[in-house]
Amino acid sequence: MNVLAVIPAYNEEACLEDTVAHLKDACPDVDLLVINDGSRDRTEDICRSNGYPHLTMPVNCGLACGFQTGMRYALEHGYDAVVQFDADGQHLPEYIPAMASHIAQGADIVIASRVLAGEGPVGARGIGSALISWLIKITTGTRITDPTSGMRMFGRDLIGIYAASFDLAPEPDAVALFARKGRRIVEIPARMRERQGGTSYFDMANIIRYMSRTCLSILLFQWFR
Amino acid sequence: MSGALRILLIIGAAVTFLIVVGRVRKEMIQIEDSVFWIVLAAVLVLCAVFPGIPTFFSNLLGFMSASNFVFLAVIAILLVKEFSNSAEISKLKHKVDLLAQSIALHEETTGDLRVGQRD
Repeated sequence: MNVLAVIPAYNEEACLEDTVAHLKDACPDVDLLVINDGSRDRTEDICRSNGYPHLTMPVNCGLACGFQTGMRYALEHGYDAVVQFDADGQHLPEYIPAMASHIAQGADIVIASRVLAGEGPVGARGIGSALISWLIKITTGTRITDPTSGMRMFGRDLIGIYAASFDLAPEPDAVALFARKGRRIVEIPARMRERQGGTSYFDMANIIRYMSRTCLSILLFQWFR
Repeated sequence: MSGALRILLIIGAAVTFLIVVGRVRKEMIQIEDSVFWIVLAAVLVLCAVFPGIPTFFSNLLGFMSASNFVFLAVIAILLVKEFSNSAEISKLKHKVDLLAQSIALHEETTGDLRVGQRD
């Protein structure tokens, strides 16, 4: 089972090294690919000096575009699964083998769920996540406990679909769409850490944009896709 | 607000909605960019179904009639949208420039074009 960890990185000089070191240590069999999404800090230098396999976008093009680049790479190189892995140290690589075994058993998407690990909804993020979870439940009948978890693994079929897609982000609305299309989605309990450095792109304007896009996509547009 | 205007608003909103959904289905607009139009259509329907809303703002701001307020509000919203489109296009133009430059610089460094410079 060839697994590729796609690590989108935009201005992640503060924690990229620790994240990659931890990943290599915990999962020596997993290949990694850093997608440097037009960072303006030392992210590129760090990738080069450490010899990380990486692709550098000449301009910042956003998470969805960067992730699609990783999916195209995975498709071209024949990987069986791709795990979306944050550069900021939130995700623990120890869960990757368990996720990969579910893919091997036929799952299309495996989500590392904080909720299944007993973490209740915390603050504004928890409320948003619970709302999205409820929307997915009423529109698709599938219960996704942690739709906003950024640690997701995708199987071969979905690698191809993402690689060729027009408007498919590695986000909850895509999970809803695939659930409705009958794809097998599995969640495993997983702890996560706080971001280990750098800053989140989730300011107020981005939260509104994210929530309006996600909710509208799940409630309305998934019926036409 | 006249009955005719209310019906027109609803028709306009319905047409907008159908066009946007059609374009999303045909993969000609991204969902992120369609949010504005769906919300606008919803607001138009809201104003048509509950004319009390535009009437309230119209009285508050001292307009002659609610219709005048609706016209001005729609023009103002579209102007703001038009400006943000201009800003977005500027950003995209700059990105295309940077991409073209990156490709050109990359080709130069791969050595294919240096032949003519060697003596």
